[in-house]
Amino acid sequence: MNMKTHSPASMSFTNRLAALSRTDRLLCGLLIGFALLALTLGIAYGVAMALARSGALSFLPDTPYRILTLHGTTAFFYWLYSAQAALLIVLAVGETKNGIALRSIAWIGAILIAAGFMLSELSALVGTPLLYDANPELGLDDPAVVAGMAGGYLLLAAGLTAISVSGIATILRGARTRADGFSALGFGLFALAGFLIVSAVAAVNAFLPNLLWALGYTPFPKNATTEWHILFHNLHYLPLMATVLVWYALARGLTGTGSITGASFSKIVFASYLVFVPPTSLYHMFLEPNLPEGMRVAGSLLSLFVSVPTLTAFLIIVASLEAHARANGATGLFGWMRRLPWANPAIANMVVAMLTMLIGLVFAFVLIQEKLAPLLSDTIFVPGYFHFFAVGTISQTFLAAMMVMLPAISGRPLWRPAILSRMPWIVLAGLLVFGASGIAAGFLGVPRRVVDISYDGAAPAIWPVLMALLGAGGVLFATGLAVSVYGVARSLIPARMPMTATAEPDAGWRVVGAPTAPAWTGLVAVVVLVVAMYAATIGAFEFMQALPADVSGTTGH
Amino acid sequence: MSDSQHVTTRRAFIGTLGFGGVALYGAWAAYGAAPLPFFHSRAFEKDNGITPHQPQAGEGPGGGHGAAGSMTPDDFLRRHEEFMARFRQPDGSVAVGSAEAPPAHATQLPVAGHDMHAMPPPHVDQGGHGTAQRDAGGTAPMHTPSHGSAPAHSQEAQPTDLYLLAYRFGFAPDDIRINSGQPYRFRMMASDITHGASLQLGRGSRIIRLRPNVVVEQTIVFHRPGPVLVYCTTYCGPAHDAMKARILVA
Amino acid sequence: MKQETLLLIGVAIVWFVLAAVYAFAPSLGMPGYARVWGAGAVVFLILAAVLGTIKRPT
Repeated sequence: MNMKTHSPASMSFTNRLAALSRTDRLLCGLLIGFALLALTLGIAYGVAMALARSGALSFLPDTPYRILTLHGTTAFFYWLYSAQAALLIVLAVGETKNGIALRSIAWIGAILIAAGFMLSELSALVGTPLLYDANPELGLDDPAVVAGMAGGYLLLAAGLTAISVSGIATILRGARTRADGFSALGFGLFALAGFLIVSAVAAVNAFLPNLLWALGYTPFPKNATTEWHILFHNLHYLPLMATVLVWYALARGLTGTGSITGASFSKIVFASYLVFVPPTSLYHMFLEPNLPEGMRVAGSLLSLFVSVPTLTAFLIIVASLEAHARANGATGLFGWMRRLPWANPAIANMVVAMLTMLIGLVFAFVLIQEKLAPLLSDTIFVPGYFHFFAVGTISQTFLAAMMVMLPAISGRPLWRPAILSRMPWIVLAGLLVFGASGIAAGFLGVPRRVVDISYDGAAPAIWPVLMALLGAGGVLFATGLAVSVYGVARSLIPARMPMTATAEPDAGWRVVGAPTAPAWTGLVAVVVLVVAMYAATIGAFEFMQALPADVSGTTGH
Repeated sequence: MSDSQHVTTRRAFIGTLGFGGVALYGAWAAYGAAPLPFFHSRAFEKDNGITPHQPQAGEGPGGGHGAAGSMTPDDFLRRHEEFMARFRQPDGSVAVGSAEAPPAHATQLPVAGHDMHAMPPPHVDQGGHGTAQRDAGGTAPMHTPSHGSAPAHSQEAQPTDLYLLAYRFGFAPDDIRINSGQPYRFRMMASDITHGASLQLGRGSRIIRLRPNVVVEQTIVFHRPGPVLVYCTTYCGPAHDAMKARILVA
Repeated sequence: MKQETLLLIGVAIVWFVLAAVYAFAPSLGMPGYARVWGAGAVVFLILAAVLGTIKRPT
C-alpha cells in the first residue's frame, strides 16, 4: 500500500535529532524519560482508583482519596506538563541546526520539575489527601501538606518557565537562520512557550497564597477556589495546543505533508488558541453559588467558541492529508486513509487521538451550558468525558510524538511496531466503556468524588453496576496505554549500533505542489459532530426536565 | 495556497467549519437556555422551573456579600437553630408542612434581634401545609411545573422555608419530611468548608455546591412521593462518603 | 516576522482588555483574573517585542 517515498521533511526532523550533541540528546532523553515515569505512575494510580470505584478493591477510608490525589497530581500535572516541556524542547530543536539554546537554563528547569515532582508526591503520599488541586480547605488541620503540594507545583511552574525560555531561545535561533523566518510549527511552539510562562504566572497566583498561609505568613486564602479555576482553564488549553502542534509535526514528519492552507493561516490558528483562552474561562465555575447570573449566561455563550482553534487545526491537518492522498489516486469517502503509513504506530495513535477528540467534544459541549451544570457538574460524567481528551487525545498524541522522537535520539528502533499500532484501538475500546458508563452514571447522579456510593442502601441500585463497568473500561484503556508506554520507553536506552534516522515509513503519496483534489472528511466530521452535540445536549435538557422536581434559583448571599 | 484548490481545502471553508461548535447555540435557544437577539423564549424555564435569579434588593451582582437585605451567615445560623427547634419531631426527624408538623395554628417564634422585614420566619398554615411569607425584596420564583401530577395549588403557593446546614460530616437536619407538590425554599449553607448538598431524585440528581458561609437558596417542588437522598458531592475529608441526609416526600 | 509580531500584539490586546474588564468591574469579584490575564498581556507583548528585533538573513 505504501509507496515508500522518503520525504525531505521526515529526513530533516529525525536526522536533526540524530545529529544532536550527546549533551542535548541526554537532556531530551531525560525529559522524555521523566515524563514517561510520571505517566507510568499516573496509570498505576488510575488503575487502583478504577478498581476502588468498581468495588473490586477495598481500601481504608482515606486511601482512595490519597490515590485520587496522586493520580491527578501525577497524571494531570507531572505527566502532561513534563511531556509538554520535553516536546517543546525536542520540536524546537527540530527547527534549528544548532541544538538547544540556553541549555543550562533548560537543565535547571528539568531539575526544578523533578524536585517539584518529589515534593508533590511525598506530600500526597504522607499527608492529608487534598486532591490534585491542593485545596487548602482540606488541609486546615495539616498545613504542612498544603505547603508541600503548593511548593511542588510552584517548583513545577518555575521549571516550566525555565524550559520555555530555553525553548523560545532555541526557536529564535532557528528562525534567525531561516530566510522565511518562522515555520508555522515554529511560531506555534513559540506561542505555546509563551502560554506556558503565563500559566506559570497563574500557578503562582493560585498556589503562592496557599504556601504563604501554610507557612504562617498570611491569613487563609479566601479566594483559593477562584484562583485555582483561572489556572485550571489554562491547564485545559495548553495540552490541546501542544497536541495540535504535534499533529502538525507528525503529518509533516511522517507523510511529508504540510498545511494545505499555508503557513500564514496556520499561524493565525495557533495564535487564535491564545485569543480564545481568556473569554472562555467561566464555564468551570457554573456551580459556584456566587457567580452572577449575567456571567453564567455570558460564560456559556463565550464557551461555544472553546473548540474553534482545535477544530480548525484538526480540519487543516485532515484536509491536507486527504487532498494529497486523493491527488495521488486515493478514492472513496474514507478510502484515502488507507494510504496513511499505518505501519508506524504513531499514525494509529494520532488517528485515534482525533477520533477521541471528536467524541470528547460532544460531551464537553453539554457541560458548557450553565443550565445543565446542576445536572452534571461534580458527577462522574466529568471524568467520564474528559478521559477521552486526557488519555485518548492528548496522552496518545504525546506518545505518538515520542515514538518518532526517541528512536531518532537514542538510535534504538521502536519496540514491536505491529503491537504498538494496535494499542490505540484497545485504548479506544476501553475509553468507550469507561466513558459510556461514566457519562450514564453522571446523568444518574453518581458523584465523581465519592468512592463508597452505597449510602447504606439509599443510592439507586444501578450505580454500582455502572461503576463496575467504569472500572473495567478503565483497566482496559490503562492496559493499552501501559503497553504503549513500555514500547516507547524501550527506546530510551541508547543503541550500541544506532539505526539510520530514515527508517520510519512514509505515506502512500508524493507531495508535489498544492493539490486540487477535494477533502470531504473534515466536513463530514463536523456535520457528525454537530448532530451528535445536538443529540447529547437535547437529551440532557429533556432528561433534566423529566426529573420529578422543579428547582429555581441559585443564589449565593 | 493555489487558486485552483478545491473549495473544501480553502482557508475560508476550513476557517468557517472550525466554528462548527457554535452551531449548538440553536439547541440552547430552542430550550430558552440562551438569549435570542429578537425573540425571548422562556420554554426551558417554563418547563423546568429554572429561572434566572433576580438580584434581591440591595444585593450586588456578585451575590451581595454583606449587602443590605442579604442573609449573613450569623442570620442563617440563628434561623437554622429556630427552624430546628420549631419543626423537630420526637423521633428526631424534622417535619415541615407534613402531617407530623406542629399544630396548624402555630404562631411565629419570637426572634431576638431579627430583621423581620428582610427575613420572616416560616409558619404553618391551617391545613398543615407549610407556607412562608415572602421576603420583602425577595425573589418570587416563577413556577409552572411541567408535571401533571403537581397539585394546582403549588403554582400559587408561597414557598415554605427550610434550612439545611452542611458540616463535616453531616447535615442538620438529616431526616426531613415534606409534602409533594408544594414549594420549599431550601436555604443552605456550609458551616466549615465546602460541601455538596445534592439531591438524588430517582433517575438523576440536582447537584448543589455549598461554599462555607455562603447562603444558597433554591426553591424546590418535589412531585413524586418517596425518599430523596441528600449527599455531599464535594470531597470534604475522611467521612465524606458517609455524609448524607434523607428527605421523605409525603 | 511582521505577521508573527502582529499576531502576538493582537493576543496581548485581547488579554489586556479582559484584564481591564475584571480589574475595573469590581462587582465581578475576581481580581485574580485581572492579575493573570494582565500578566499574560505583558508576556505576549514582550515576546512580540523580541520578534520585532530579529533580523533575518538576506
